[in-house]
Amino acid sequence: MASSATTGNPMPPSLSMPPSQFARLQPHAYLRAHLSPPSSDQPSVRANGRATSQFRVTSVNTGSLTHANGSAVVRIGDTTAVCGVRAELLHTSDISSWGVSQAPSKQNPTNTNEAKDSKSEDEDDQGQIQDLNLLVPNLSLSTGCAPGLTPGAPPSALAQSLSHQILSLLHTTNLVRADDLRIWYQPPNFDSEEFHNPGEGMEVDTEQSGGPEREIKAFWVLYIDIMILSMAGNAFDAAWASVLAALRDTKLPNAWWDDDNETILCSDDFAEAHRLTLRGLPIASSFCCFEGDAAAGWRANVIPDAEEQKKKKGSQQKWILADPDGYEEGLTQERACVVVDKENGKTIIVKMEKHGGWNVDSDDLRKLVDVSSQRWDDLKQALEQC
Amino acid sequence: MRPAHPKEAAQKPTNFIEPARPQPSMSSREEPLSIPERDFILEALGQNLRLDGRQFDEYRPLNISFGEEYGHVKLQLGKTSIIVRISAEITKPFEDRPFDGSFNINMELSNMGSPAWENGRSNDLEPYVLEALDRIIRHSNALDTESLCILKGVSCWAIRADIHVIDFDGNITDAACIGVMAGLQHFRRPDSVVKDGRVIVYGLEQRVPCFNDSKQVIVDATRKEEQAAEGDLVIGINSAGDVCYISKHAGAPIDAMLIVTKTNLAWEKVKVLNAIVDKALQADLSKRADFGMADESRAANDRLIQPE
Amino acid sequence: MVSPILSQLNRPDGSAAYKCPATGYNILGAVNGPVELPARRDALKPEEATVEVFVKPGTTTAGVAERYVEGILRSVLGKVVLGREKGFPRRGVIITLAIAGGENMDRGDSYLTILPSLLHAALLSMISASVPLSMTFSAALFGVTKTGDIVRDPSPTAAKASVSLHVFAISSKGHLLLNESEGRFDFDTWELVHQRALSVCQGTASADGDVTMGEGAASASLHGLIREAVEDQIYSDYAYKLDSI
Repeated sequence: MASSATTGNPMPPSLSMPPSQFARLQPHAYLRAHLSPPSSDQPSVRANGRATSQFRVTSVNTGSLTHANGSAVVRIGDTTAVCGVRAELLHTSDISSWGVSQAPSKQNPTNTNEAKDSKSEDEDDQGQIQDLNLLVPNLSLSTGCAPGLTPGAPPSALAQSLSHQILSLLHTTNLVRADDLRIWYQPPNFDSEEFHNPGEGMEVDTEQSGGPEREIKAFWVLYIDIMILSMAGNAFDAAWASVLAALRDTKLPNAWWDDDNETILCSDDFAEAHRLTLRGLPIASSFCCFEGDAAAGWRANVIPDAEEQKKKKGSQQKWILADPDGYEEGLTQERACVVVDKENGKTIIVKMEKHGGWNVDSDDLRKLVDVSSQRWDDLKQALEQC
Repeated sequence: MRPAHPKEAAQKPTNFIEPARPQPSMSSREEPLSIPERDFILEALGQNLRLDGRQFDEYRPLNISFGEEYGHVKLQLGKTSIIVRISAEITKPFEDRPFDGSFNINMELSNMGSPAWENGRSNDLEPYVLEALDRIIRHSNALDTESLCILKGVSCWAIRADIHVIDFDGNITDAACIGVMAGLQHFRRPDSVVKDGRVIVYGLEQRVPCFNDSKQVIVDATRKEEQAAEGDLVIGINSAGDVCYISKHAGAPIDAMLIVTKTNLAWEKVKVLNAIVDKALQADLSKRADFGMADESRAANDRLIQPE
Repeated sequence: MVSPILSQLNRPDGSAAYKCPATGYNILGAVNGPVELPARRDALKPEEATVEVFVKPGTTTAGVAERYVEGILRSVLGKVVLGREKGFPRRGVIITLAIAGGENMDRGDSYLTILPSLLHAALLSMISASVPLSMTFSAALFGVTKTGDIVRDPSPTAAKASVSLHVFAISSKGHLLLNESEGRFDFDTWELVHQRALSVCQGTASADGDVTMGEGAASASLHGLIREAVEDQIYSDYAYKLDSI
């Protein structure tokens, strides 16, 4: 840090303290001094030596946990996230709303109409995964991952909101196919009366007893546990990348309904296990916006109109920093996050959010989308290498 | 912190070095009344006067209205105002009671109701009110949980009442109790396929608290009156006139005969309150009928026929 | 359009009820501030006010989704509140938002459909509580359908069917205060929705020079609606003065 400070930016001569102390005493001025280029033709360099739109070195390692169905460790700079996916069976007879909620929506019976299934696959997927809670992400910030976290405390607001962001992104991207999680059963073609057994949880299907229909006997529920081992800013990107890598690594054992025992059996043959077929590869990139004018928030000043602000752009007052570290996150309030996917080389935005300020406008967001799509290429490579 | 003897207080009404009395239950962490203010209230009561000019046995104006959804009640009792929302979802019944659905009452006091309440932290008032509601409504089987069963041991309805206190000026227990009962009578759960049905509510039960204040007993106390009170008495009576709950929670001792006389008063009040709730339900019904929801209103009509 | 009601409650410093006509969400907001927060002394900032937001769902207890939306609201509102005004530093501005009406939120549901209503209720409550603000704002929800049409304020079912959902909050001075978008879309679509949001919120001239009045003649813009609600309140608050003149 010290060397980059002296080369990038000569300190005023009157200052007789080392840069590391300056960084602690006047963090805002320190970062601004770094970002302000000495001459207009030189690019801004951040205090950590990165360019403004440069991400930290990212490494991915999958399959590190032996007892999980899928796992991954993602390291972005000093931020490390571990994700383990564990699959558990959920019998449809145990779902209290299974018989009840299915019947009213007769126009969309999932277990009778295969052709229709594939047509409205997307909505159907989302519905079943969401209604039955088949994806259960939970993020925890481990003790000691950041100075502020005390052991034994309930999940912090940050951990809870990250959990929700991951869940909501899993739902909106339709990343996991519901069909990968279903365990079907095709009853043998006996005489329907003989076969018919008005046992537990079967009554609801009696009305459709035309012939032996293929039916869902159980679902796999994926418990996605994410642990942030070390937090040095930008926890969401790391957490999401670890979820993505772990889901790509996930293998579900071959499971089938055994009618004689009335239970689900799983094969312990590893070769029979199947991987999840994920939809796309959405990758998250987070940004923060650093305001040059430290006094902006200090005064009850009159805030210029958006138009005026645009005109003033010549003198740079803000820097948008990609993949902020902990130090930079502490100095900024405005955040942006773009999640992109690519299909045949075309960039598709899956989620975009920005809040906490008014400096990032639509032009900036356009640039961020471009940066994010570059990031997609880099991270895709990292994910495929492991 | 000793509980002041009522006689002592009556003899020395202006004794301002008297330590603050422990408040039995209400108004946790509210700004305490100033001593002159409390003495003023007590002295006025001594002269048969209440701050808002009500009689001792008079309720504040009760205003009930219903929202667009079934089971959405807005209730105002003077300046106390609450919103009750009833909702239903399908769950698995408990192993030991495969025929029963479940019914739960939830209340979370937020900063909205009173600046003294902190968001996300419980205070003393919350369990006190919930306990009373639990006993009056849940344990007296006001709601027939067996009617909530859909499929034995597999699925049942879980009914949930959420009480939002949006403005607090004393006597939430009454307001919440009336609100939940009105909400239950108004609510219709979604029709399930296996069994068509409505929530069967047996009788309306009400609670009437009587605040004992140096031998003066007042009904429906405001926040300030609650703060000046020495004790409280809660009586729950259902619409058939049976007493289902009596609680003399804490505070000054009262004469046993008082409970008997006040139970009579409570019964009178229950009849009045019942009439108000019924009137509000009828008004809502005709409003819905006007909107041409013939089907729904016909079904809702059934609800007014109460068993017993 | 149902006008929002300000200062309806007696106990909080400020309150507002906002009902979104299209989505049916009815939000009740209350603000207390500036208040002392003795329990959170170590979390208080030395030079500015602490803005706390609490979202209370109608028929469930608050969960992870509420923590998330609270975080968003806090970052938007915290930036708008002039927390360095006299009397505000080291104190709290507590905003409580109760979802008093409208559909339930299920676990994992997107919170976007309700976000504009929450923002409006919070803003109006803060105005009602006389919390100093650097600017006001208005917010709107848009859905993009499969055919590429932009629908303003889609109902919860329409929102579920749409390809992408966008929430914009535009300040009274035209800044983009908040954007939350999800679904599948490209930047050009986003830009179109953004333009639409600007016109809906500000009522400014659209590209072809027409002032967009299509959203209802009485309140051409959402900013206008917010302003009218506040003006009505001021008018009724000062009715005694007006009468005496």
